[in-house]
Amino acid sequence: MSVSAVFVLDLKGKVLICRNYKGDVDMAEIDHFLPLLMTEEEEGVTCPIMMHGNVHFLWIKHTNLYLVATTNKNSNASLVYAFLYKLVEVFTEYFTELEEESIQDNFVVVYELLDELMDFGFPQTTDSKILQEYITQEGAKLEVAKTKVPTTVTNAVSWRSEGIKYKKNEVFIDVIESINLLVNANGSVMSSDIVGTVKLKTMLSGMPELRLGLNDRALFALTGRDKGKTVSMEDVKFHQCVRLSRFESDRTISFIPPDGESELMSYRINTHVKPLIWIESVIEKFSHSRVEIMVKAKGQFKKQSVANNVEVRVPVPSDADSPKFKTSTGHAKYVPEKNLAVWTIKSFPGGKEFLMRASFGLPSVENDEMEGKPPITVNFEIPYFTVSGIQVRYMKIIEKSGYQALPWVRYITQSGDYQLRSNF
Amino acid sequence: MPYLGGEETVRELRRALSNPHIQTDHLRYRNTIHRVIRLMSQGVDVSGLFSEMVKACATGDIVQKKLVYVFLCSYASVNPELSLLVINTLRKDCSDPNPMVRSLALRNMCNLRLPGLCEYVEQPLTAGLKDKAACVRRVAVLGWAKIHALLPNTEIDAAVVNELYGLLRDPDPVVMVNCLRALEEILEEEGGVAINKPIAHHLLNRLKECDVWGQSEVLSVLQRYRPRSEDELFDILSLLDPALLSHHVPIMAATLRLFLSLCSMLPAVCVSALERARGPLLAAAGSSSRELRYAALCHIQLLLRSEPGLMGEHYKRFYCGYAEPPYIKQSKIQVLVELVNDDNVAVVLDELKGYCTDVNTETSQAAINAIGSIGRSYDDRCLGILTGLLELKQEHITSAVLQTLRDLVWVSPQYGDAVCSALEKWEDQLQDTQGRGALLWLLGVYGDRLSGAPYILEDFIDGVRSEVSAEVKTELLTATLRVFLSRPAETQDMMGRLLQHCIEEELDMCVRDQALLYYRLLHCGIEDVRRVLQCGRRSDLSLGPLIGRPPEPISQWASIFNTLEPLMLGASSNGFQFGNGPELEKALNMLSFPCTRVWFLKTLCLFVVIFQAYVMCPVPRCSPESLQVALQLVNIQTLAFTAPNKLPWKMYLYTHSSHTLTPHSSTTPPNTLILAEVLQFTML
Repeated sequence: MSVSAVFVLDLKGKVLICRNYKGDVDMAEIDHFLPLLMTEEEEGVTCPIMMHGNVHFLWIKHTNLYLVATTNKNSNASLVYAFLYKLVEVFTEYFTELEEESIQDNFVVVYELLDELMDFGFPQTTDSKILQEYITQEGAKLEVAKTKVPTTVTNAVSWRSEGIKYKKNEVFIDVIESINLLVNANGSVMSSDIVGTVKLKTMLSGMPELRLGLNDRALFALTGRDKGKTVSMEDVKFHQCVRLSRFESDRTISFIPPDGESELMSYRINTHVKPLIWIESVIEKFSHSRVEIMVKAKGQFKKQSVANNVEVRVPVPSDADSPKFKTSTGHAKYVPEKNLAVWTIKSFPGGKEFLMRASFGLPSVENDEMEGKPPITVNFEIPYFTVSGIQVRYMKIIEKSGYQALPWVRYITQSGDYQLRSNF
Repeated sequence: MPYLGGEETVRELRRALSNPHIQTDHLRYRNTIHRVIRLMSQGVDVSGLFSEMVKACATGDIVQKKLVYVFLCSYASVNPELSLLVINTLRKDCSDPNPMVRSLALRNMCNLRLPGLCEYVEQPLTAGLKDKAACVRRVAVLGWAKIHALLPNTEIDAAVVNELYGLLRDPDPVVMVNCLRALEEILEEEGGVAINKPIAHHLLNRLKECDVWGQSEVLSVLQRYRPRSEDELFDILSLLDPALLSHHVPIMAATLRLFLSLCSMLPAVCVSALERARGPLLAAAGSSSRELRYAALCHIQLLLRSEPGLMGEHYKRFYCGYAEPPYIKQSKIQVLVELVNDDNVAVVLDELKGYCTDVNTETSQAAINAIGSIGRSYDDRCLGILTGLLELKQEHITSAVLQTLRDLVWVSPQYGDAVCSALEKWEDQLQDTQGRGALLWLLGVYGDRLSGAPYILEDFIDGVRSEVSAEVKTELLTATLRVFLSRPAETQDMMGRLLQHCIEEELDMCVRDQALLYYRLLHCGIEDVRRVLQCGRRSDLSLGPLIGRPPEPISQWASIFNTLEPLMLGASSNGFQFGNGPELEKALNMLSFPCTRVWFLKTLCLFVVIFQAYVMCPVPRCSPESLQVALQLVNIQTLAFTAPNKLPWKMYLYTHSSHTLTPHSSTTPPNTLILAEVLQFTML
């Protein structure tokens, strides 16, 4: 990979901040970026890679910003995109929200970060945990003491500094599973999978050695145990702290955790699960007069669990007016700017079934523009429950000083990309 | 950029910067510098403050130093003389006890990008290579690459190169990787870093210590290594095997590429590597970032060219989400077409049918094309969907459907009846040039079966004066002549009018020439007309290589895997994905009817255009040999062509005008040799 320069542009194509890393591409080339993008948009063929002369623009869009990398080499595209996303990640950790204003307000830090993240077109220190140790936002204060190189830049354990101290040693484990679902208009499940993440909030002193035990099917097969429910995970991805060689040889997840919050691992499970919230919808469109919508939502999970903040988003034609709603529970409202009727149910117990009826008026003059058929989407959150049945069996914490530490575990299931195609 | 009051502000800032009161007050001084940098970021030209800023870099405050360096690096090229003043401060900083300051100074010294200053930089860089702090060594190593980029003609001292080779064994992994990067740049002319056995093994052993970026770099450098023995090769492969399943997409892709290049002689191993990497590839194609998803999809398309069966059962992973951007939808549609097999054809067609009415025109056209190309190998369900779409009466859909039908019946003439019945009650008006061309072609070919064909043609002929597209006009000429052959009574009159208009009033030379050609052809007698227009090489098996796509060897694309190129191919192939058979046929028919030399050359030009669309734009789809065979059928001989992977790709063609076939031009000497050069313009 080799990136000539990185630019951050606002939506009008004005350069907010840029950094010329290699000097082999004229910085004025960026002026061609937005016109190119506009022509592509007009033709409806936008593409994340564009070419002008022999310069390639690789770009991503984040909130109201374009992040653009230029190169004139046949470099590795996915690596460049990965780097641009890394930029977004690092900036977001610094400014919580990455947008035009935060870039302008923090340009000093942005310059400093751009300097450290990449040199001569090659990524250098990209771990935001490490960066935060020597590039701080309190740059405006005068202090000379912090100019010391952090040990982590050269440390063997690059993600954790030495000498961390807590009064009370605790570690919080969050197991979060999100369900992606795609249901056809005729009600058959086209695809469904579960994407899980295990997040840690570590508040431990010293250099503790942690071991996490899950009811991983491959592990149980390895050790010959077969009691209880097991889960087989795919595409397991770990934080860099996990010793991959040990996981590959005997499926043990052992690591020295980074301090504070971090994502320890993520996995995907490709089993067919029963859709947790099932939606049946009838949308009848009487041209020139009205649209009648009937939506039935059914909670297909255990009776003792409760889904919170359920939101069923039903698409309505863009020229609809005068909404009327009737719901058996919760409340519904019309969001005209998104062409949606949103039905919110604060708490939705398992096994229950609810109904919403809505009707909209349609103008007598028909809208010429073609509209797509947006799907119905559902958002929800079910605490104390994982669809896949994954469980943390133990978390062992060993530190030289021998302190006692408590692990806390929390499970939650939520909707990911949860779509049911409608038929109207 | 015009900025109101810019000059005034600069003057005010200069006063502030040189004000001794402010200079002694750290906070105020720093704030003034912040203002300068902010203006610079906003595009105001503040280069006039250079000398004041040079003074500001002599400070103990590291943040201020950084900002001043950012300023100096941006404007150094405008003020080369003043930059000399900075060098002293920078060199002093290079011996600062604080490693942060040392690395900062060293980095910025090289970033000034002034060739004249290189002599001052070399000494601190050499010292930097031996620095005890890793962060300084990291910078120093890349510094040499920067010097090389600045002075590409001067040799970097051999001692330095040796030193860099030595630093490959540095305890810090980033220093090691930076060394690789620097050596790659410095030794570019010699083909990059020399990778011998000890270096290769050293790199492999330390691979795990590097971060994602470093690992990708090491893996791509290792491609040049050729193991001495099969045993060594397999040791390396088994060491790298787990990385194929890595969930960092870049690492997986780099490993896969390394596998493909190491095992270029062992196709079986390549195939099993592809199968191993299938899971991670699919995961990448479902990645949450749309750009990475697109990159993965483009690479999957590449893989499918050699291993069409690779993803067969995972076709559902390529269903489009509603909110996905068009470019992803289009790549997914293209992948879906490749994945169709006996078991899933019905489901996939159903899904594609849903995409045909997509709001984005390009996407809906891609979906319609996709259904057409599935129709080449699978039942007439496709035809049902396509003809059903005609009833939607949406202009862009109708146009795409007509083009698809044309391409489809050309390959599979058995669908003719169904197409005729769909066109029987045709009464729409089309605006789109391509759609009208396709409609005319269909009318010409099925003129004998479509009762309404002459009437539709008549409408076109009546409006020919206001027709702008030459393409439609030539298509109209051919169609009218074809219909004339089967239904002379109804067509004769309007054909006369059309020919008269095209010969006497038409301004476009191509249309006029074609009309003249047909006019003379009609003079030669109806049999000749029939031979030229109806002998039709329709679905000639010998053209198979031009339409179909046999699996390619992996080596064909292995060299571009995991680079920018597959994405560019993905972007450019959208228009050409599914070939346009009839156009090719027309060109070939023309060529087989030798007339004058000028005509031949003109047709050849047309042919070259089509040929470009065919053979090169997406990537050469057929081997030159099969193209040669196809061309020989139409009396075009190939003199020479370049090797398949060479760019620009060239092909030299010639033909004889054989007098037996040219009754009216017998005066031209026989055996005229016409040479043409077909040039493939490079995409990248």
